[in-house]
Amino acid sequence: MRDRLGGALALPGLGWLALFFLVPLGFILIVSLGDHDRFGRVLLDSPSLDNYRSALDPVFLRPALNGLRYAAATTILCLVIGYPIAYWISRYGGKQKTILLLLVMLPFWTSYLIRTYAWITILGDNGVINSVLLAIGVTDEPIVLLNTDLAVVLGMTYGFLPFAILPLFVSIDRLDDSLVAAARDLYASGRSAFRHVTLPLTMPGVVAASILTFIPAIGDYVTPDLLGGAQTTTIAKIIQNQFLGARDWPAGAALGFLLMAATVIGSLAVIRTLRREVLG
Amino acid sequence: MNHRHDGSSIDLERELVRYMVERRVSRRQLLEMMGAIGVTAALAPVVAACTSAGGTSPSPSAAAPTAAPSSAAPTATPEPTPLPSPEGELLIYNYAEYMDPEIIKQFETEHGVKVTETYFDSYDVMYPRILAGNSGFDLTFMTDTDVPGVVQQGLIEELDLSLIPNVKNLAAEWVDPEYDPGHKHSMPYMWWTTGLAYDTAKIKEDLTSLKALWDPRYNQHIMMLDDQREAFAAALIRLGKDVNTVDDADLDAALVLLKEQRPLVRVYSGDPIGTFKSGSIWVGQDWSGDIWTVQETRPSVKYVLPEEGGVRGSDAAVIPQGAPHPIAATLFINHLLDAQVSAKNTNTVYYMGPNAAAKEFINPDLLADPAVNPDKAVLDKLQELLDPGADLEKFAKRWTELRAGG
Amino acid sequence: MSHERNRLLSAYSLLVYVFLFLPVAILVLFSFNDSKDNFAWTGFTLAWYPILFANEDMLEALGKTLQVAAVAVIASTLLGTLMGFGLARLRNRYAGGIAETLIILPMVAPEIVMGLSLLLFFAQVFSARGSLAQISIAHVTFCLSYVAVVVRARAVSLDPHLEEAARDLGASAVGAFRYVTLPLLMPAVAAGAMLSFALSFDDLIVTTFNAGPGSSTLPLYLYSRIKFGVTPEINAISTIIVAITSIAILAAWRIGRRRADGRVVSMAA
Repeated sequence: MRDRLGGALALPGLGWLALFFLVPLGFILIVSLGDHDRFGRVLLDSPSLDNYRSALDPVFLRPALNGLRYAAATTILCLVIGYPIAYWISRYGGKQKTILLLLVMLPFWTSYLIRTYAWITILGDNGVINSVLLAIGVTDEPIVLLNTDLAVVLGMTYGFLPFAILPLFVSIDRLDDSLVAAARDLYASGRSAFRHVTLPLTMPGVVAASILTFIPAIGDYVTPDLLGGAQTTTIAKIIQNQFLGARDWPAGAALGFLLMAATVIGSLAVIRTLRREVLG
Repeated sequence: MNHRHDGSSIDLERELVRYMVERRVSRRQLLEMMGAIGVTAALAPVVAACTSAGGTSPSPSAAAPTAAPSSAAPTATPEPTPLPSPEGELLIYNYAEYMDPEIIKQFETEHGVKVTETYFDSYDVMYPRILAGNSGFDLTFMTDTDVPGVVQQGLIEELDLSLIPNVKNLAAEWVDPEYDPGHKHSMPYMWWTTGLAYDTAKIKEDLTSLKALWDPRYNQHIMMLDDQREAFAAALIRLGKDVNTVDDADLDAALVLLKEQRPLVRVYSGDPIGTFKSGSIWVGQDWSGDIWTVQETRPSVKYVLPEEGGVRGSDAAVIPQGAPHPIAATLFINHLLDAQVSAKNTNTVYYMGPNAAAKEFINPDLLADPAVNPDKAVLDKLQELLDPGADLEKFAKRWTELRAGG
Repeated sequence: MSHERNRLLSAYSLLVYVFLFLPVAILVLFSFNDSKDNFAWTGFTLAWYPILFANEDMLEALGKTLQVAAVAVIASTLLGTLMGFGLARLRNRYAGGIAETLIILPMVAPEIVMGLSLLLFFAQVFSARGSLAQISIAHVTFCLSYVAVVVRARAVSLDPHLEEAARDLGASAVGAFRYVTLPLLMPAVAAGAMLSFALSFDDLIVTTFNAGPGSSTLPLYLYSRIKFGVTPEINAISTIIVAITSIAILAAWRIGRRRADGRVVSMAA
């Protein structure tokens, strides 16, 4: 009975995804089996798995690892930065909780490009940080901050922070204070109470926050492109190049699918493990 | 509605269909026109066509603000076929800031056409839309060397040169381009060169060689274009090779050179103007017209064509297949070739056009600038990036390897 | 002891807010910059604001972006909430696993893959060349998953007995959902809606390939112009958005404060 109700409720959404996501994806899947001509058109007369074979070329390993590194760093930073503030808003926000959350979202209702260009203004060789450092004499040459790994991770963390804070808040807010108080009464230290009571009970929020940051971060093309440089090429950029620069849709499609498969399998494995380990 | 003045009846439906076919107007567009200008105005030419003797080609389309059917009264001596008026709208697909908005407004007023510009940030984004056919745009631009391929695929319309009298303004070298003999399918728009740009405030010596892009003294302040052909061209020119070579050994050598350069490169930029303006770059590859724009913020930036050689190219205006308003597009192309319009465009966008008659109206500083307007002797030494056809693969593969960091 | 932690935590939270608003402060500041670009401060001017209001193209683009966002937020919040809640209720591991994978997939797909797949789909199946409607459908598609994930996380930690109790007391299934479950889910639903708005408002790549002539959204407009320098007009429009939103938030806060103490207005259950 539960199942049927659950299934029925989820059906419209799943149906939408099936029609507007799976079916189009199917088209691209077909494209990935084809070949391309000199104009970038897809030729399907002799479908094969060749593109997948080429996609497994070790040349793609480094950008894939880059993408993975940035996504992992971003997720960890978002969780570490986001959890305390979500906790603070929930525990000490009082009547202003909603306002405080809206304030978290406010910067993200300006345009993404403008925010990123603001970071360029801040991190650039002639930017705010360097101007200050030069003015107070800490250094006489501008420090290279922009177009580096640092800039990319900073930009991505900034961009994904609300995607971590909101689900974390939603979960933390659900936490029954008396449980923590009970643990303390039973002589648990603050840290212990956190580890054994708070964290497990807010795990669904942590998992949700991780999903909403890590997974999209792997496919993030724009931020590493604007804030990154010659050394920070990600797999998302390579895929984009295949489609647009090389006009090789089949190759881009195959690479894209491999990325998707790896991410889905990897993420589901991590999520299941997290749930099992922490929730016992 | 079904009786002619001479008593015979007409089939309104059939006339409507004939009108639509000849005008290449879809049913929906006809309805829109009717809605916009009033049913009578829209039907006036159809009625006029019905009532004119002998059923000659329909008079001015309904989209003209003055809907007066000029061929209504048949005269004793046959009138010359009037120039067709443009449809009410024009949809242009172009780089942002690659066309002076005032010349667009001028066209709008002169012809009573509403022009809408949609922008792309790179030709890479434009091509999939045009390749898919029926893009919905009337006018777009592409690199000259890509035109033959697109023509072969039937993706662009042939130009009605009778509507482009201003073609007489073209400079001699543009009259019969190699990539499109007789410019039957395209019209040259702007041309440019690719060379070296550097910030004289940061680099005190005069740079003359491509080697500057490999100079370790400028580590982390070097910029290359995010363009596989341009990047490889720089390396190939340094090796003294043809930029269009598809010889594997040559390309491998170029790749080695580029990989040597990579640790020194700050960014392979798709936005050279912004990158230079931000001040983090001291020397980089760039296109000629960008420099004046960069100089608006950073006047110390200079452009030179390296002694080893460089690249030149041009962009051409084309009408994509299935364009909904081809007449407006053709008239616009003609407008672009007007001497003063072309000059105004150049003065705003800082790229030179192919227009000889425009020269007297162009900002003399631009004309005198060897960066923007090098003389023929210099130009002849530059190479053009030709379409490699299926061999694009060779560049793409190596570019991926370079960018992937392997 | 709890006071100390409170102060440390509060200071920390303030820092996070500073971090969040730093780029906003910069962009607001530079909207008054007397120079064509954003890279160096040269002087104060108000000139960009009138220029912004004269820029019909940009204002139109903003309008279209908001239109699309409205549709995307409403549709994705509705469908996503049902989906998230339904998923939480599913006991069947097999079905649950499949549903979970399907929900995650849109987030995993690189944007170019999603953008081009929709381009192909709409071109082949509907002969469509891009439009606001097409963009809206695309946006709903990628926003759905985010709402579902957030709602699911909340739904999973709901006490199922509450619903049962409501049913025992005579409520119908729908009634129990409306009066018991939904209010408890509300924070997650609101969070999902806020995330959807942010996603839709800023979307670039998927929108690029599903826009037709004349359906340019603000990100498309900005991205194409950004190549030639970010003129402070763009900062001006963002500043105005921030200003309007801040005023709205301030107003909401004031109204909230005036309510009688008895009513619980906060987002938590």
